Amino acid sequence: MKIGRLPALVRTTTFRLALLHASIFILFSASLLAYLYYETAGHLGRQADSELTAEFRQLSEAYRLGGLDRLNQSVGERAGRGGKFFYLLLDPDGHKIAGDFDVLPAVAPPMGQVVDVPFAYDAPNILEGQPSRRSAAGRISRLSDCVLMVAYDRGVLGEMNQRITDVVWRSAAVGFVLSLIGGVVISRSAAQRAEQLAKTTEDVMGGDLSRRAPVFGSGDEFDRLSEQLNAMLAKLERLVMSSRSAGDSIAHDLRSPLTRLRNRLEAGLRDTNSDGPRTALARSIDDVDGVLDTFNAILRLSRVQAGASGSFRRTNVAGITDELAELYQPVCEEKGLAFQYSHEADLFVLADKDLIAQAMANLVDNAVKYTPQGGEIRLKANRGLNGDIELSVTDSGPGIPAADRERAIERFVRLEQSRSEPGSGLGLSLAAAVAEAHAGRLVLTDGGGPPGKPGLSAMLALPAA
Amino acid sequence: MRVIVIEDDTDAAAFVKRVLNEAGHAVDICGDGESGLNQARSGEYDALVVDRMLPGMDGLKLLKSYRDGGGRAPALFLSALGEVDHRVEGLQAGGDDYLVKPYAPSELVARVEALGRRATGDIPTTKLAVGGLEMDLLARTVTRDGRKIDLQPREFRLLEFLMRHAGQVVTRTMLLEKVWDYHFDPQTNVIDVHVSRLRGKIDKDFERPLLHTVRGAGYRLEA
Repeated sequence: MKIGRLPALVRTTTFRLALLHASIFILFSASLLAYLYYETAGHLGRQADSELTAEFRQLSEAYRLGGLDRLNQSVGERAGRGGKFFYLLLDPDGHKIAGDFDVLPAVAPPMGQVVDVPFAYDAPNILEGQPSRRSAAGRISRLSDCVLMVAYDRGVLGEMNQRITDVVWRSAAVGFVLSLIGGVVISRSAAQRAEQLAKTTEDVMGGDLSRRAPVFGSGDEFDRLSEQLNAMLAKLERLVMSSRSAGDSIAHDLRSPLTRLRNRLEAGLRDTNSDGPRTALARSIDDVDGVLDTFNAILRLSRVQAGASGSFRRTNVAGITDELAELYQPVCEEKGLAFQYSHEADLFVLADKDLIAQAMANLVDNAVKYTPQGGEIRLKANRGLNGDIELSVTDSGPGIPAADRERAIERFVRLEQSRSEPGSGLGLSLAAAVAEAHAGRLVLTDGGGPPGKPGLSAMLALPAA
Repeated sequence: MRVIVIEDDTDAAAFVKRVLNEAGHAVDICGDGESGLNQARSGEYDALVVDRMLPGMDGLKLLKSYRDGGGRAPALFLSALGEVDHRVEGLQAGGDDYLVKPYAPSELVARVEALGRRATGDIPTTKLAVGGLEMDLLARTVTRDGRKIDLQPREFRLLEFLMRHAGQVVTRTMLLEKVWDYHFDPQTNVIDVHVSRLRGKIDKDFERPLLHTVRGAGYRLEA
């Protein structure tokens, strides 16, 4: 790793996570090691200390009972026993009376006081003949006619202490390095996933809309994020494709009326009949109106798709279908179609009344347009099995083959058989967009009629409010 | 009628002027909000046609100031913004009608003329009469030459609207908006069917028809 890259490295999430990981690990292991130290080396020290205190008390007891003679005797016995303690008994002037050492390692304290002193001494080394210098801890007390010191060898204890301390520090260092590595490994995998997502979005921005983020099936946050991103990309791709094909369709749909318009105007210009030009102009206006209608429908659809700007209120949609039934029944009768309307009460939806009315009007318009004379149209508003509010229009027309239904909802798609009918080809798209804006959906199904003319059922399923 | 058109797009303004001139109305044009407001306040106009988006002062603000200053001439908003919310904003600012671009010239003329009639008919009426056709708004009854005519509630509202605008052309879009409160145009001829049913009730059995179809524009109720 080059030094020059360090700032960039420090900026990465990987590094920061690893550092955080290591710090937390250090904190934990420091507490753990401190506890370990307290329970081992610390404990040994405290134990030796309390033993020393007990030894001292016993000797003091002997002195209290039998004076210097008894103490001297006691010290003699204990020293001869070869326990872990060393002794030294001096007269007030500092001359040795009995014990393992010749002189006090420190100045004796005043009368009645006790001091602890660490010191070093030369212990005879039996194996090598060379004396070795060892550390000891002593306790000195001045009595009325003598000075007593009891000490113990810290050599063993000190070594132990030293070793434990070393182990603690070494493991702390190893732990830090290990935790740093662990942190890097863990956060690297997270960072790699993030990097993959970044790469995907980069590619998409570069124009490759078909790119998708990898999903590993682990169901973790990154998988969920990837799935969301992919769903978003799919929608984006669909929108882009549909607006691309919409562009083509607009051009296609407008070319014929515009060509017709142009021809008509030209013919009108050459027409020498007195009424010819007037008629041509009047019909041209009809053509232009058709073009304007298409444009208005496109605009409206775009607005709905871009997120309806309309106002959503809790609405009883049965009221909307009531009005539509009233509006369309005469038209159906006029066309020789039987019209049936049924609804349940209290069908509340969070809805933009105008949008729902328009979507349903489009569905009824379609039904009226495609159902031949003698047919039947059923408008229905009811609560579905899953609790959704369902507004449906069912006709007895030719229907839409199951394979074509999804395509029929796309912008501008007019299935072959309907090309001859007037209309912008946006009716179903708008209904679908309105359904989507209400968190619902447009469902096209078979109308349930006999083969040959199965009919079509178009239903807006909207979440109840 | 004398109409002021406050519209910054000179082509659009010229088009409005020509259309209204042809329908027999005098038109002044103003290209920006501030001076449009001052000119409208001069009080010589029967109606205002206001574009929503204007340099200097937008149409909504202009009309609010005009109304706050006591201006009473009816106003029609012209706008490319056609959602329900936009219409509501327009009406709240003091507009009397709202026409979304693009529109047909006949639609514009019909709307402006409908405004003029409303301005003069400020006194609340309880009875409407056109030829021998009479409507009692309180009793909700309709008679023609003394003979009672039974109407459905919607037919009653349709006829009321036509009678209030007797002698004027009323477009299908106007009927959809004012009688049905729909702000979209159905693909099928729903309005025509309803009007022809109404015609069947008020004109059938009578020699002289009152409800006329105006080709390419709409309908007119006229004695």
